[in-house]
Amino acid sequence: MRVLLSGGASGLGAALLHACMARGDQVTVIDAVPDPQGAPEGPAGGLAWLCHDLGAADPVAWAQLETALVDRGPFDLVVLNAGISATGRFEHIPLADHRQVSRVNLRAPLQLAMVLQHRKALAPGARLVFVASLSCFTGYPGAASYAASKDGLAAFARSLRRPLRQAGVVVQLLCPGPMDTPHAARHAPKRAGRERRMPPERVAKLVLRASPRRFLLLPGTGAHLAALLGRIAPRTMTRIMGRVLFDKLKQQGR
Amino acid sequence: MAGSGRHGFIGTCLITGASHGLGAALACELAARGHRVLATARRAPTELPGEIAGFDYMQADLAQVDEVAALADWALAESGGRLDLALLNAGLGFYRPLQAETAADIARVLQVNLDACVHLAHALHPALSGGALGLVGSVAHKGAAGMPVYAASKGALDGFGRALAEEWRGEVRVRVLHPGPVATGMSERAGRPRGAIDRFFLSPRAVAAALLDALSAPRGADRQVISYLRVGRRGLWRGLVPGRR
Repeated sequence: MRVLLSGGASGLGAALLHACMARGDQVTVIDAVPDPQGAPEGPAGGLAWLCHDLGAADPVAWAQLETALVDRGPFDLVVLNAGISATGRFEHIPLADHRQVSRVNLRAPLQLAMVLQHRKALAPGARLVFVASLSCFTGYPGAASYAASKDGLAAFARSLRRPLRQAGVVVQLLCPGPMDTPHAARHAPKRAGRERRMPPERVAKLVLRASPRRFLLLPGTGAHLAALLGRIAPRTMTRIMGRVLFDKLKQQGR
Repeated sequence: MAGSGRHGFIGTCLITGASHGLGAALACELAARGHRVLATARRAPTELPGEIAGFDYMQADLAQVDEVAALADWALAESGGRLDLALLNAGLGFYRPLQAETAADIARVLQVNLDACVHLAHALHPALSGGALGLVGSVAHKGAAGMPVYAASKGALDGFGRALAEEWRGEVRVRVLHPGPVATGMSERAGRPRGAIDRFFLSPRAVAAALLDALSAPRGADRQVISYLRVGRRGLWRGLVPGRR
């Protein structure tokens, strides 16, 4: 199977990369990190690491990436996972950070999806998975631009679902809750317990085994419950997120 | 409009995308309710329709980051650092499938519909204390097969407003208002062919009035849809109570 991952250096992307390599897939990774530390060994040509800054708009770099994707495709599974965050009070976070979150988390996956469609780099029956967040159901005060990017991605995935199904491509939306990743450790309030965060390996397993008939992928009972409450009582869930996350971030001067 | 002072935002209001359609109707409605209107749009001042020509106006293209920054500076200077309402209404979209999109247009739609709003909210935050921030979204924010990039931008605006409303609660009232189909000509400009359904589009004036009511009401959800039910209910209420605006 030919797999394309955006963001493979750590967290969920790294877990997906290891799982795919272990089962003998041919994996292509797009990441801003040039030299992957601890990338898994595999057969020759099993892994292609494309160093590309998804936050940059440089058309030359994007044209090179496009060519490389055509060479490595068509892909049977694409997971658009690369993401960054900016947490704290909205007005205290530098504007440049908000802008970078928007570029990496939203503009880049939209552009990647467009490139894959333009260049017919999605194999018949392929799965195109957008990695959003449980914040699409709960809101995320304390990470306003991150929440924006993930809600935007969810709206995009819902928009593409039907048109791409007609083209033989399955679109899926992954909304994981907090994972035990370096990303979460950087952005969660200090002293937030790791024990309740889900190991990214479990989420990776769910993505790889997901039925193509399911659009929404929610890993774990906690995520299902939070999503349900977010649908029934969206305001209350956002208030709870404000208490649980934003108030702590404020107390910590972020 | 019920109420006055900062929370009823009788005072100075900034409105983006004010030269046409819903934005022009919002600007006129704000002026009719007694506010001072700071209007902005891409059009040159000489090309403005008559009803907008009398407002304080700055020409700015929100697709250009430096023009967004200049707009924020202008609004702060004109308002003396005290804005009662920033109503971020400007929007751009293309009615076309993903395979017909271009990288430049994706970047432009996201810049105008999302990043410019983030920029203005960030820059205007101190001036908005005690006032209100209105973000004009779209019912497409939940997804729209015919315009996936536009839907993504409006979905993002919804998530942004939802988070910011909670962060700024008690300090700045933040509301995201999602109008239904409005007869502004935007959808034809976006590339959607005209059809029989266009006859059922809502009038910009009626939507503008309902939207400002929703924004100025002291109670109400942070995210609201302003469509047929809301506009119709307001029209009915006005019919039953003569003299009510």
